[in-house]
Amino acid sequence: MSTTALSQDTLRRVNRWKLAGVIALLISLFTVLIAVENLLVSSLLAFVIAYTAGPVVNYLERRGVSRGLATGLTFVGAGLLILGIGAWLAPYLAETISRLQADMPRFITGLGQYVQDFEGRVHAYAGPFSNFEVTSKVETRLTDWTHDVFQNLPSVLKTFFTVMVLGPFLAFFMIKDGRSVSTLMLSLVPNYLFEPALSLQHQINLQIGHFVRARLLESLIVAAVTTIGLLIVGFPYAVLLGLVAGLTNLIPYIGPLIGAVPAILIALVNGYSGLSVLAVVLVYVVAQIIDAGFLIPLMVAKIVDLHPVTVIIVIIAGAQLMGVLGMIISIPVASTLKVTVSTVYRHLIDTRT
Amino acid sequence: MTKYVWDNFFRKSDQDQEVLEALRQTYIFSSLTGKELGFVKDTVHVRAFKPGESIFRQGEVGVGMYVLLKGTLEIFVDHFGDEKNPVRNQLITRLKAGDFLGELSLVEHNSRRTATAVASEESMLIGFFKPDLFEILDRQPATGVKILLRLSEVLGRRLKETTVKVTELKTDLRRVAGPAPV
Repeated sequence: MSTTALSQDTLRRVNRWKLAGVIALLISLFTVLIAVENLLVSSLLAFVIAYTAGPVVNYLERRGVSRGLATGLTFVGAGLLILGIGAWLAPYLAETISRLQADMPRFITGLGQYVQDFEGRVHAYAGPFSNFEVTSKVETRLTDWTHDVFQNLPSVLKTFFTVMVLGPFLAFFMIKDGRSVSTLMLSLVPNYLFEPALSLQHQINLQIGHFVRARLLESLIVAAVTTIGLLIVGFPYAVLLGLVAGLTNLIPYIGPLIGAVPAILIALVNGYSGLSVLAVVLVYVVAQIIDAGFLIPLMVAKIVDLHPVTVIIVIIAGAQLMGVLGMIISIPVASTLKVTVSTVYRHLIDTRT
Repeated sequence: MTKYVWDNFFRKSDQDQEVLEALRQTYIFSSLTGKELGFVKDTVHVRAFKPGESIFRQGEVGVGMYVLLKGTLEIFVDHFGDEKNPVRNQLITRLKAGDFLGELSLVEHNSRRTATAVASEESMLIGFFKPDLFEILDRQPATGVKILLRLSEVLGRRLKETTVKVTELKTDLRRVAGPAPV
């Protein structure tokens, strides 16, 4: 065993090489994630599943079940639960979707009519100054869009099924063997950075875990409240619209507005009375009051302490980079960056003072 | 580099046995069953240090403890003196295989290291940190409680030793200063 103390310069050089190796490895992993088709989205889904199912697996492990068996049982249980809910909702959803498909041309014409009326009124007010044509453009756009949706359906479905198979598959191994993988990754970190890296990984893990679980629960509650509200006011497609509201609720600030648009459009196009439209709007407002008044302060706000202006900027950046998915994942990514930067900064302060 | 990759990726199985044995011999883990020790072994981190490389430095935030698996460590304390001699390192003790250090960081929030530990030869250390303890408490609480009890015992013993030393120092000080003025 060597006892000659190495010079600080040599140690620093060795550590620099080790750090370069770790950074190169991380960049390669990230490149593979982006380059391989569907891998990024599948991994994101896998993280969401792993963070949601992880506590259940830990609970079973506390009861004496081995990690592997606990993971298997959780996945089989979740699979059966989803199948059960799917089987229960399938007839209703199938009927709703086929009704929606049949109604779609009527909605488009109705929306065109609505825009045309609106345009007529604007022309009447503006007189000779109004020299524009919106109706035909809107109608063409909507018809094209509907056509595109059905045209792209096979490839969208292919991606969807790939992600739906790959995501849970990756999540299974993330839960079962995630610990050994992260220990292996950490073993490559140079000694002087090891403790900060471990602490950073732990904090990020906690932050994202809490965030994912809180947002999922929040969305589920918003979906349920919206569905129940729409059922009470006797509005069609209640479950489907509730699901849309829950899903778009994942996008902070702008999401709830996007979620309400389909219902309000359907109400307007179907020629609902002002009072009925108001009732539908009220359902969404109540869901948002519950969300903003109870769910966010109780569950989400404590976890992500980003300034509202930062949130908006981050969402816009996310939307421009990756569309709707970018809007949903922008906040967890931003909060992860915040934890990373503050921990690294604290480490730098600690080692300099 | 090849040695580093070999050490970190492949030379595992014989090292696993050594880690298991070292944990069994460490007071904090000695009340655990074989199965529990196996679980702890999969949670801890084995780190290799070169001669002259510091394990941690005085004043840094620490997140856990180390058990010395192989090699020797020297523990220094920085004394802040006068303007001519601002910082002076004083060697406090030498640690050998089987000794452990830094256990206070496992329970203290934002704990600062009170000394600097430097490897005086090629050394292997087992690192056991706060996130690892939390994971054990979350997944196997019974094991975690056993570790915490032993950890409390060690910290209590250290506190008693410190109290005895402080009392001795106070007595010495009184003796040097003479009887208190009436």
